[in-house]
Amino acid sequence: MRISYEWLGDFVDLDGVTPKDAADVLTRQGVEVESLTMVDLSAIVIGKVLDQQKHPKSRNDLWIHQVDLGGRVQQIIAGAPNAVVGSLVPVALPGTTVPNGKVVKDMNIAGYKASGMLCSAAELLLGDDHAGILVLDRGTPGQPLTTVIPSQAVMEAEVTSNRPDCMGHLGIARELAAGLDRPMKRDFMPAFTGTADPAGREMVNVGIEDPDLCGRYIGGVITGVTVGPSPDWMQRRLRAAGVRPINNIVDITNYVLLEYAQPLHAFDLAKLEGPAIEVRRARGKEKLLGLDGVERELTAEMLVIADARKPVALAGVIGGEETAVTEATADILLESATFSGPSVRQTSRALGLRTEASARFERALPPELALAGARRAASLIAEIAGGQVHRDWADVYPRPQEPVRVNIRPALIDDVLGTHVPLEEAEAILKRLSFHVKVRGDGEWDVLPPVFRLDVSIPEDLVEEVGRVYGYDRVPPTLPGRRHDRWTPLAPSLDRRLDEAREVLAGAGFTETWTPALVSSKKLEELRIAAHAMRVANALSDDMDTLRTSLLPSLVDGVALNRDRARDDVRIYEIAAAFLARVGEKNAQPEEPLRLAAVATAGPSGAAGEKAFREMKSVLDGCVASLHAPACTYQRAAAQLFHPGRCAAVVLDGRQLGYLGELHPTVVGGTGRVVAFEIDVEPVLAASRTPRAQPLARYPAVARDLAVVVEETVAAGAVLQAIKESGGELLEQARAFDEYHGAQVPEGHKSIAFTLTFRSPERTLTDAKVDEVMSEIKLGLEKRHRARFRE
Amino acid sequence: MSDAASLTGHALEAIGQAQTEDALAKIELEYLGRRSGLVSTLLSNIGSLRAEEKAALGKAANEAKRAIESALAARRAELEQARLADLAETEAIDVTFPGPPLGRGRIHVLTQTRRQIETVLESLGYQVELGPEVETEWYNFEALNIPAGHPAREDWDSFYFSPELLLRAHTSPVQIRAMQRIKEPPIYIITPGRVYRRDAPEATRLPYFSQVEGLAVDKGLTVGDMKGTLLYMIQSLYGPDRKVRVRPSYFPFTEPSFEFDVSCGICGGMGCKSCRHKGWLEVGGCGMVHPQVLRNGGIDPSLWNGYAWGFGIERMAMLKHDVDDIRMFYEPDLRFLEQF
Repeated sequence: MRISYEWLGDFVDLDGVTPKDAADVLTRQGVEVESLTMVDLSAIVIGKVLDQQKHPKSRNDLWIHQVDLGGRVQQIIAGAPNAVVGSLVPVALPGTTVPNGKVVKDMNIAGYKASGMLCSAAELLLGDDHAGILVLDRGTPGQPLTTVIPSQAVMEAEVTSNRPDCMGHLGIARELAAGLDRPMKRDFMPAFTGTADPAGREMVNVGIEDPDLCGRYIGGVITGVTVGPSPDWMQRRLRAAGVRPINNIVDITNYVLLEYAQPLHAFDLAKLEGPAIEVRRARGKEKLLGLDGVERELTAEMLVIADARKPVALAGVIGGEETAVTEATADILLESATFSGPSVRQTSRALGLRTEASARFERALPPELALAGARRAASLIAEIAGGQVHRDWADVYPRPQEPVRVNIRPALIDDVLGTHVPLEEAEAILKRLSFHVKVRGDGEWDVLPPVFRLDVSIPEDLVEEVGRVYGYDRVPPTLPGRRHDRWTPLAPSLDRRLDEAREVLAGAGFTETWTPALVSSKKLEELRIAAHAMRVANALSDDMDTLRTSLLPSLVDGVALNRDRARDDVRIYEIAAAFLARVGEKNAQPEEPLRLAAVATAGPSGAAGEKAFREMKSVLDGCVASLHAPACTYQRAAAQLFHPGRCAAVVLDGRQLGYLGELHPTVVGGTGRVVAFEIDVEPVLAASRTPRAQPLARYPAVARDLAVVVEETVAAGAVLQAIKESGGELLEQARAFDEYHGAQVPEGHKSIAFTLTFRSPERTLTDAKVDEVMSEIKLGLEKRHRARFRE
Repeated sequence: MSDAASLTGHALEAIGQAQTEDALAKIELEYLGRRSGLVSTLLSNIGSLRAEEKAALGKAANEAKRAIESALAARRAELEQARLADLAETEAIDVTFPGPPLGRGRIHVLTQTRRQIETVLESLGYQVELGPEVETEWYNFEALNIPAGHPAREDWDSFYFSPELLLRAHTSPVQIRAMQRIKEPPIYIITPGRVYRRDAPEATRLPYFSQVEGLAVDKGLTVGDMKGTLLYMIQSLYGPDRKVRVRPSYFPFTEPSFEFDVSCGICGGMGCKSCRHKGWLEVGGCGMVHPQVLRNGGIDPSLWNGYAWGFGIERMAMLKHDVDDIRMFYEPDLRFLEQF
């Protein structure tokens, strides 16, 4: 909302209140002024032209003026001829900076002295006209220009959606009046009514099809108007508020919209068929040529104003071109109506057409406002465009506005604010905001909000009204605290519990990323992981139309992004939810398993990939161990995104958490390999146990190496499992440290080297005892895996 | 002069001239070696001597041995002392030579920021509550006093999967869920998490971002308590000089409602380029919980009241670390991530 400071002065005395002061008051009270543009006219004085002569020597057309500045006369040269003798003009004297930035100096033009400048509207930033000197209609020579044109200031303010009344200068002025504690100069409801015969309601027939969509429709008739340009002051204010002047009738409807926040429309009465007005939904295939020159096809959801034949306006959004007021118009129908907010919003959205009118109707306007706006506009039309305002307008009002009463225990104000506001002050504030306050016998207040404040309905609303004018700066900050007899013990959040894993990952060189959960459905389909994907119905773009089912594609993109920036060694991870739709359950919220996913780059060779695969296992094992969960096991598996020969299912306590492996070459692209894992973390945290201290070993350990030769197809994990089973209690640890293929082992076989550590809690082990266990282990391996042993 | 005395004299001279441990070891072996050491050979023909001669020779040999041993020890100590005194020269290294890279990964700056916020509020007794990102229309809007057709819905343009299901536009649904679960106040919770709004990506906003909302429900809470809580939080995060200002605003789920601003850290509130000459930086929204919202959470507003607030984690991180483009947080670009 663009606010003209000058305009506010119509409603409240701004003497001694600068535009900055006004902006501060408004912001403090809840109308946030985001910017303030100043046009300072205080240095400009009024002059009266005593003499005007053509410059005798200059080749350009220049005129030499003798200008009376209230007792002294200055010679000023100008390029425009319109400052004729007797004109009152704005003068900038040497040394002055004109609002458009120009600095005025003493000059000598072809032998004639020029002491100052006569200003155009454009130079004063009061309009676009720079061809002629701005000629004033009143003023006293020598006085500042601000005695006839106040300094201009335009504020850009954000009005919250509950305050449609502040979408007009009157509402803003009321806020200012309340904040400054100054009276309003004008009543909300103008007294003006028409007197001409016949009665308006006999000239135009108005019907409302659906009262839910249109709560009130006022149609005023004004005959014999003279359409022409509106006065300068009105044009100036419209421009300041960002509206282009058209003609006096249209300008007046816009002016009242900007003043009262009530949108109005004027039809050329002669062009209306009937003359009848029907407020109804559009019928199949109806069209409307709008004032913006665009023809639109209408749908049955859209509310229109129709004459006896066809739609002539889109209710609350835009008027029709065919019935618009033109220079030839003599009689008008002035529409002031209350259309339903949701209906106007729906139409405006469907057509992608947001107007000053729709922006106001969307916020739900009070029907009482329609009458005030219509009266104000009619009085301005009578004053500016002449014409006869007819008596007794059509006013179809099927949903009369119910008065709202709010009872409040005044102590609630102090209770909620946390500071003491004297009762008289609270009451005075409400009155300044046009609320009626009646103090009842029991001390409670019976409060009647003004008709234009539909947003006030509960006592807390009144607390807010008092608080914002009283000033929240005056409420001292405190911390709450009372004696509680109930509490919830602190429990770390799921995300916080994963910080141990984050530290392991950081230590292993992995950097955490946050990537968007919205991804491309096309990409998920290409990767064949779209089975449980949730598709957004109103996506902003194709690359963000679906919730991800896996974090890995985002991380793979991260690898590519960093490789593009010449980073070869990329180790990144993310902790976030994946989203999996529940099949067959429409409208059910999806599963949102919290995932930990990591990727790391490796060289292009198969061996490099295998090494990286093993390192990745160490990383995942480290993460799981840091969360104090039992160790994971790994089983050969096949999964989307992963290399078919290098993928393991990650299993914890018999439950599959996810996969670890090398990513499929088609997923990775490029030359290098990428290893990855993605697991559900909630089962890991569920398996987490507080570590318990074990007694330190009292007897020494005995280490033995064992090289096991088995067929290529036998998994190291299976061999390890067999060793552990045969090793019994004395086998403290078994670790694989090398794998060998080559001359020393038969074709189709491999040799895996293990280090076995034996220890007894009760005695020092003898070699003989260890030999015995080793024999057991070998026997088991021979039986289970047809293993042989290398010395 | 006896043989022993002359032997000792030679030994002490040699020891005195020895410059290294190796030389001393050689001398030690030469004189004190068990079999062929010169002190031992003094006694080689002791068997042929008379008893009193034996005793005299034995005594002399022992004295020689002790004298040499003590000279050796003294010389060794001297040499060690000299070596230690020379370490600065003999073992000097180039201490300016840089260490090899550690390959340390980073925790995301938004995680760090979120932790800082959580830690500060936990110190006031708030608990972290989490909730689903795909929400129902009821939890996201209706329960928060934003019925269908409400003009304020414009402020939370959302991504829908169906008319019933959408990506949450704020973490406020978690507040409702927490009230329903905890049932009996006092309730002091914060709800960090990702949220989604249908805004085209640009330097200052994204269709996805992260919030921390807070909710306190108790007896007799006030606007002053809300201000104090925000001030404590901001000062803990940004330093004790910061100020907080609340400005009236409008949200359907709070009454009264506010925006809260933090005084600019560069100009201290005087107005500068960084705060666009306002002196204040907008941070988030807050207010006293609307009685209908308490009711929707199953709390009786005649017994309890509350305040709530919300702000973007990204916004807080941008203020703290001078990040000027919100999109950087969601790019997995190590050049950015490794700065924190």
